[in-house]
Amino acid sequence: MTDGFWSIVPAAFGGVAWGILGGALPGISPSITMALLLPFTFGLDAAVAVVLLASTYVGAEYGGSIPAILIRTPGTNAAAATVVDGHMMKLQGKAGEALGISLYSGFVGGLFGLTVLVLLTEPLSGVALAFTPAAYFALGILGLSVIASLSRESLLKALIAGVLGLMIASIGTDPVTGTSRFTFGSPELLGGIPTIIVMVGVFAIAELFEQSGAPGWAQATERPRIRIPSPAMWKRLAVPQLIGSVIGTFEGIIPGGGGTVSSFLAYNEARRWSRHKEEFGHGSPEGVAAPEAANNTVACTALIPMLSLGIPSSNSAAVLLGGFLMHGLIPGPMLFVQHGDVVSSLYAGLLAANVAMVIVGYLMMGPCIWLVGRPKPYLMAFIYALVVSGVFSIEASLFHVGAALAFGVVGYGMRYFQVPVLPMVLGVVLGFMVESNYRRALVLSSGDYTTFVSNPVSASLLALALVFVVGSLVRRSRSKEEASV
Amino acid sequence: MTRDKALGIVLLGVATVYYLAARAIPASDLADVVGPRGLPTAYAAGLALLSVLLLVRRESAHAKAGPVVSPAVLARVLGLLVIGVLYILLVPWVGYPVAIAGLLIGTSYYQGGRLDRRVVLVGISGAIVLWLVFVQVLGIDHPVGAWLERLLGEA
Repeated sequence: MTDGFWSIVPAAFGGVAWGILGGALPGISPSITMALLLPFTFGLDAAVAVVLLASTYVGAEYGGSIPAILIRTPGTNAAAATVVDGHMMKLQGKAGEALGISLYSGFVGGLFGLTVLVLLTEPLSGVALAFTPAAYFALGILGLSVIASLSRESLLKALIAGVLGLMIASIGTDPVTGTSRFTFGSPELLGGIPTIIVMVGVFAIAELFEQSGAPGWAQATERPRIRIPSPAMWKRLAVPQLIGSVIGTFEGIIPGGGGTVSSFLAYNEARRWSRHKEEFGHGSPEGVAAPEAANNTVACTALIPMLSLGIPSSNSAAVLLGGFLMHGLIPGPMLFVQHGDVVSSLYAGLLAANVAMVIVGYLMMGPCIWLVGRPKPYLMAFIYALVVSGVFSIEASLFHVGAALAFGVVGYGMRYFQVPVLPMVLGVVLGFMVESNYRRALVLSSGDYTTFVSNPVSASLLALALVFVVGSLVRRSRSKEEASV
Repeated sequence: MTRDKALGIVLLGVATVYYLAARAIPASDLADVVGPRGLPTAYAAGLALLSVLLLVRRESAHAKAGPVVSPAVLARVLGLLVIGVLYILLVPWVGYPVAIAGLLIGTSYYQGGRLDRRVVLVGISGAIVLWLVFVQVLGIDHPVGAWLERLLGEA
């Protein structure tokens, strides 16, 4: 491992602590918590940086359940399913038990997800060893198409967002000829707009803008102590935890799935398979265990397509990908060959993060309740100050601070017009890969455009992209017809 | 005008400006079959096509029921943006500690905090914490401030 196990462990603990704090603040999602941390990782060792970011993701998924249980306000979208039974348990005087179930179910889900991540990622990445430039171009197109077609918003708007991302990625020096493009004489733009600036803008600053118009959140009235579930409760929770972990695995791998969908699916399935169906909605421990196991499983399995193919399946995975790229680490098969130590450190770090979640989860309860109780204007001001200071730290550039603010406006506008952000971020991330491989493939084939369909891997990936887009169109038109009946 | 139609017009404008800028990219002797203008031109065409589709399609009920931004909310968002822009403009002159304290106090006040001793104290203590973290611990060269540099130069 790059920097030894003992540099990974503090990063895992620190990341989890930061993630729990961020997740506990309503409106601050895991991706925003990670985006806030991104500038700080710039000067760190690559392995430490990715462990810090991945651990933040793990911590934030648990942190979201704290306000969900205590003040009926989910700290993250994925914790929305926990509100139903978690808050009901709190009203029954079982807040400590609900928090304990959330913490331990998250731990079980996290370990399950980590096992799947370790088993699947490297074999999947081996497939990409057979990739030519034409296939890499097709993979980029497939990634964009899948994210756009699985987006909850309109397919048309998702495609628009993807194209906008590609346009942003084209700013800077041309990858083949070295010609300046869209720089308008500005030296700051020669290197392009760093992905991290776009992410901090559209995730963190746009959320600050959104929160500035939102009312303040409720305050916690009590300070419960987390209670470890009894052996009998452990036995009862085994099935919902397994259900949550299995659903979290699939939803994490599938692009566009993510923690929110998986936690609601897990809640429904846990109710379907439960012997105590009548308790659901009235303070069922299983109703807390299943979604919490699911969203913590996703925190690991969402990294499978990101690490193996370079395609992030969620906002949080996209921010983590930004962290990889910032340190010159290109996800895909070569990552395991050239930077196997970083991958091993990430696995070890995720294991440490899941253990840390249990320990830090106990210790952070008081600070989290204190933080949620702070006046919202002060919290927002501090987050804003943290963002502008952090963005400046990347390259000591006030131009970047201005660019991040501009992308904050873009992100806010996209929320207003209901345009999904993830396809745009993915366009920015994949833009270079798409263009450079497209042109390299044409150079290698002496300008023969049929190279994209004559190569079996490339042709299959492009066909799959088409299937996703057409399938999405058919699915959406069917659901419209059903709605009108 | 509906929300989607307005978006369609804005995006069509973006596609046009981007296309014109793409055409202005200088040709290169090293150019391949596609050249530096190739994909940007395709992106502009793609965005224009998608914008036209957005303009001509029937707006869904979901799109019509999008978030409503009241003038008061818009004023808060713009205020936050102006505070950020003022920070960028002032930090080279007044220096990081003063500018970040101003950002903390301004944002707290503008977001509903009262302009009293508490807001000022939170701003100053927050600025000290951030200065310690970024400048002293992480060693980031945040601007010292033209006035302080002048003062130190004279001393």
